Amino acid sequence: MRIARFTARRLLQAVPVLLGVVVVTFVLVRVLPGDPIRTILGPNATEADAAAARARYGLDQPMWQQFVDYLGGLFTGDLGVSIQSGQSVMGEMAVRLGPTLELVVIAVTIATVLATVLGIWSARRAGRAGDHTLRVLALVGNSLPEFWLGLVLILVVYSGLGWVPAPSGRVDPDTNLSLITGADLLDAVLTGNGPAFASAAGHLVLPVATMVVVIVAPLMRSVRASALEVLGSEAYRAAAAHGLPERTLLRGYLARAALVRLPALAALVFGFAIGSTVLVEYVFSWQGFGQWALRGLLFRDYPVVQASVVVIALCYTLIFLIADVVHAVLDPRVRI
Amino acid sequence: MTLLDIRDLKVAIGSVQALAGVDLTVARGEVVGLVGESGGGKSMIARSVVGLLPDGARATGQVLFEDRDVLTMDAATLAAHRGAGAAICFQNPRGALSPTRVIGRQLTDRLVTHQGMDASQARSAAVGLFESVGIRSAARRFGSYPHELSGGQAQRVMISLATGCAPGLLIADEPTTGLDVTLTREILLRFREAADEEGRGVLLISHDLASIARICDRLVVLNAGAIVEHGPTTAILTTPAAPYTRTLLAAVPTLPSPHPAESGESAGSADPARPAGAGVSAESGDPAQPAGSAVSGDEVVRVEDAHVVYGSRFGAGGHHALRGVSLTVRAGETVGVVGESGSGKSTLARLMLGMITPSRGAVTLAGREPSRLRGRALRALRRRAQLVFQDPIGSLSPRRTVADAVAEPLRAAGVKAPERARRVAAVLERMGLDGTYAERRPHELSGGQAQRVGIARALAGEPDLIVFDEPTSALDVTVQAQILKVIGEVTAERGRGSVFISHDLATVRGFCDRVVVLYLGRIVEEGPVEEVFARPRHPYTMALLAAVPSLDGEEETGRVRLTKDPEEAAAGGGCALAPRCPFAEDACRTEEQELRTLGRARVACRRAGALPDLEGPER
Amino acid sequence: MADLTTAGEAGPPRAAAADRGFATTLIRTGSVILGLVVLAVLIGPLLVRWGPEEIDAAASLAPPGGAHPLGTDVNGMDILSRVLHAGRLDLGVAVASVALAVVLGTLLGIVAGYRGGLVDDVLMRILDVFQAFPAFILALAVAALLGGGVPELILVIALVNAPAYARLVRAEVRTVRELPFVEASRTSGSSGLGTLWRHVLPNSLTPVRVIAPLNCGWAMLTLAGLSFLGLGVTVPTAEWGAMISLGSADVVAGRWWTSVPPGLLLLVSVLGFSLLGEGLQERAGVTR
Repeated sequence: MRIARFTARRLLQAVPVLLGVVVVTFVLVRVLPGDPIRTILGPNATEADAAAARARYGLDQPMWQQFVDYLGGLFTGDLGVSIQSGQSVMGEMAVRLGPTLELVVIAVTIATVLATVLGIWSARRAGRAGDHTLRVLALVGNSLPEFWLGLVLILVVYSGLGWVPAPSGRVDPDTNLSLITGADLLDAVLTGNGPAFASAAGHLVLPVATMVVVIVAPLMRSVRASALEVLGSEAYRAAAAHGLPERTLLRGYLARAALVRLPALAALVFGFAIGSTVLVEYVFSWQGFGQWALRGLLFRDYPVVQASVVVIALCYTLIFLIADVVHAVLDPRVRI
Repeated sequence: MTLLDIRDLKVAIGSVQALAGVDLTVARGEVVGLVGESGGGKSMIARSVVGLLPDGARATGQVLFEDRDVLTMDAATLAAHRGAGAAICFQNPRGALSPTRVIGRQLTDRLVTHQGMDASQARSAAVGLFESVGIRSAARRFGSYPHELSGGQAQRVMISLATGCAPGLLIADEPTTGLDVTLTREILLRFREAADEEGRGVLLISHDLASIARICDRLVVLNAGAIVEHGPTTAILTTPAAPYTRTLLAAVPTLPSPHPAESGESAGSADPARPAGAGVSAESGDPAQPAGSAVSGDEVVRVEDAHVVYGSRFGAGGHHALRGVSLTVRAGETVGVVGESGSGKSTLARLMLGMITPSRGAVTLAGREPSRLRGRALRALRRRAQLVFQDPIGSLSPRRTVADAVAEPLRAAGVKAPERARRVAAVLERMGLDGTYAERRPHELSGGQAQRVGIARALAGEPDLIVFDEPTSALDVTVQAQILKVIGEVTAERGRGSVFISHDLATVRGFCDRVVVLYLGRIVEEGPVEEVFARPRHPYTMALLAAVPSLDGEEETGRVRLTKDPEEAAAGGGCALAPRCPFAEDACRTEEQELRTLGRARVACRRAGALPDLEGPER
Repeated sequence: MADLTTAGEAGPPRAAAADRGFATTLIRTGSVILGLVVLAVLIGPLLVRWGPEEIDAAASLAPPGGAHPLGTDVNGMDILSRVLHAGRLDLGVAVASVALAVVLGTLLGIVAGYRGGLVDDVLMRILDVFQAFPAFILALAVAALLGGGVPELILVIALVNAPAYARLVRAEVRTVRELPFVEASRTSGSSGLGTLWRHVLPNSLTPVRVIAPLNCGWAMLTLAGLSFLGLGVTVPTAEWGAMISLGSADVVAGRWWTSVPPGLLLLVSVLGFSLLGEGLQERAGVTR
């Protein structure tokens, strides 16, 4: 019950931030250099054509009117029409959000589990060769440019070894996967489409591996540092000095205390991963949200840029909120 | 068979010899006190008994526990020995309790491991154990996390965890550090019970000889890793053989009591640096202070009916730290302010310094009201009063040198650099710190040296008022004595007023002219030092006096004991002490208490003067 | 009798966490790597025959060897020369942008942390809005806004980083502000600015010093990432990310030399910063 109240309060606190986000994106998009209308009409269009097109997209309205329309649209779920494609932004986004979230969630989950296991393993061997090796390896992973790592993996695993499908698209179209959520693996499971599942999984291997490698290091460092702090703490030493068995120590006295600070960092890493997807999707022609947003940005497609940036901020804010709640559950010292 | 028999134990960490050949025994049913200052190697002994020496430590000799050597035990035997054989009750219980596990589970973990109980047995046994160490509503407390406990409760839980291992030997490492005097007593009695009723051996480790002496059968005095003296408690208290023991005894601030005064004298002849300002009984008096003289200097600070409320920013709630305090300090006078933690002592100090503004009432410092001043004028007025801090190292900026720190008030006053350097050197010299200290940084100083720097800084600007905020509570006992001596000299100067804040009545006695007793933000008793000590009239003052540790090793009789921890006593209407007061009547719980004059003191208790005779034995 | 204070009975729990020998190794290795990279990009270009934007029309996508030790790209430009020249740009932008971010962030953090109250609230809410975007996304958007010149990119990366420093410094200032020695300074009658400058600031910058090197690595990755996507430095200017982008088309065909060398150098430089930063963190006992 207290957790529910805490969640509600944090949700309320997120509202002004999100409003700020909406304002900032709106202004940002309007001051972007470049004219979206010119890019779609081509060089031969007359001034009258341009004016007509502007009117069609509501760009002839005064700034405040555009803002009010935009804000109203946000609440009714109408995000406007893409200037480039003429399609509804909402519809385009629905198709694109699923695959990207699938990629990010799988990568962050694997990285978190890996970081927890390796971090505690490393902390219990602190100062020994295994610990040092693992930490340096994690640092190397963290120093890799993800877009380059993706290319190298393609070079080696696809071009060289041929173990994975070609890095274009997310699932073999021949498998006739029907679209439900947009997340291919999930859709394959929902429709019981075995071949599609295998194909989607095959396509996921390299992008997920790329992201896991670059994001596991900060998580592992955090778990290791917390675990080390717990192991060196008076509280843990006291429990050990009272002769508690290894299993009780690990489960009751080390694990939870060491994971207390992980959620906040995992949220941060999630955001980092969202940023990374723009690059990773580009490398693997993933046709996901990141690529869509990037193209919107490059072509000054106002509605697309606005919608994508606001959605990313919304996701990110929500993730932090979830992290706060998880933290509050894990750490009894948090006042809620 | 002796329970614990340590023979010629030597422990070295790197090139540092932490223990240099220690012999120590503890039998079942016996309480042995291990006394010495921090750094003396006490904790190292405790850790070697459970086989948990720090990394890189090498131990030689024997630590025989029931005739088996802990130092040579294999991992499995050692695991069985920890907890069930010997269990440590750790110093700083808040830190030693796992923050993310409810205290009940922490106890049942021990019960399941060492007493072979199943989950439901352990649960009911845990509740019983919590009750037996004096935790109220134990069943509800079972699900509490450590951070929800007060210091006293945490210490009780720690004791229950250690006894929950059902150990043959219970080791308590500084079990009363940070506890108020009233609680210290009760906690210590638990250990006596563990020995008397449960037949355990108890090894009580402390830097504070006075507080543990009365419950110990034998004492062992440790200095710099070696035992300097051991023997029955009374023998050591009455006829200490080692000079170090005499120093320790002399450093204990006490109420009048024949034995320590004598030993203090003998220590004085043995050690030329014997502190004069402390450990002085009423009879001998402090030569620097004209005892009981009515001081008639100029008023340096006047606090009138001051209230301080630390509110949340939106008005509601808030913590009422001071509730109508009036106090005047004159030049040449030293006023002691005494109270438990949370009584508002530190708030009063900051009020007098003009660092906070009273929510109601007025403060006048050197003739001006800080609350009416701003900016430059306020800063100039603040320089008239200086504070000496509780935490000597923490009150010095880690990145600034000693000279820099001491010069700060002078720089603020706009004193030119050459003059500044001269005065800094002079004031450091006065504090017994030669020129080599000027360029040191705080981490290169010991606690005592840092506190000398703190006092030098307070003196540098030649203020009208110096407030000492528990200046010795973070220091070792022998260092405390030296610092108290220095403070005694500083407060004896006529041109300045001093306020000495302490949670400890005995310390105040040495050199204060007047004493003010605070309880939950109110003055409950004030008067000349001799008067308040000789004839305490408020139950709270009586309780504080009763709780002062005495070295005679005898159980006091008939003295006042308060019930409950201050945290647990809910403040209702009427007298704030009523929920804890053994003399409270119904009227006490409804009537607000005003200070009224009784003899040479003023007391805020409607029954004061009419309380039962406390001098005679009650039990 | 001297004060009886001997160091370290039961040392602080953190002592166990600090692995000084390893920290020193990390710092040294990181410094050596960075030193070598700096040396290479400063001296290397002087030893290479080709200019970074010089086109060898006879050799497009020539494999390593002969006149072009690391081959050429699709435009016939020498990879070795470009890779070395690009290092100057990437390292320079990284250091400059982090320095700018530190200055901006520290200023904001001090104002917010020391003043508190309304100023703090307003500043923090504004930072909240900017930190509601993942850093790279924000960098993308601002880069699109400001355009791809080098000074603009420095500003972009600095702006994106500054809020983190502001928070770091603010948190530290708020902690330090409450420490006894700051109160001591105030009771000495020092002015607010004096206390801030002499006591609060010097004791609040430790985490910044530790984080900055790590952040330089991130700044390089950001610059390269932006250029990779076409929002940063563009061909023909030599920059690692842009070079990888140009070479990415060759990868599927198995032509490694256009994208692997710039990526490797980028990795090595970032690793240098990471090792240095990790070592500094370990030494400072910052547990994060």
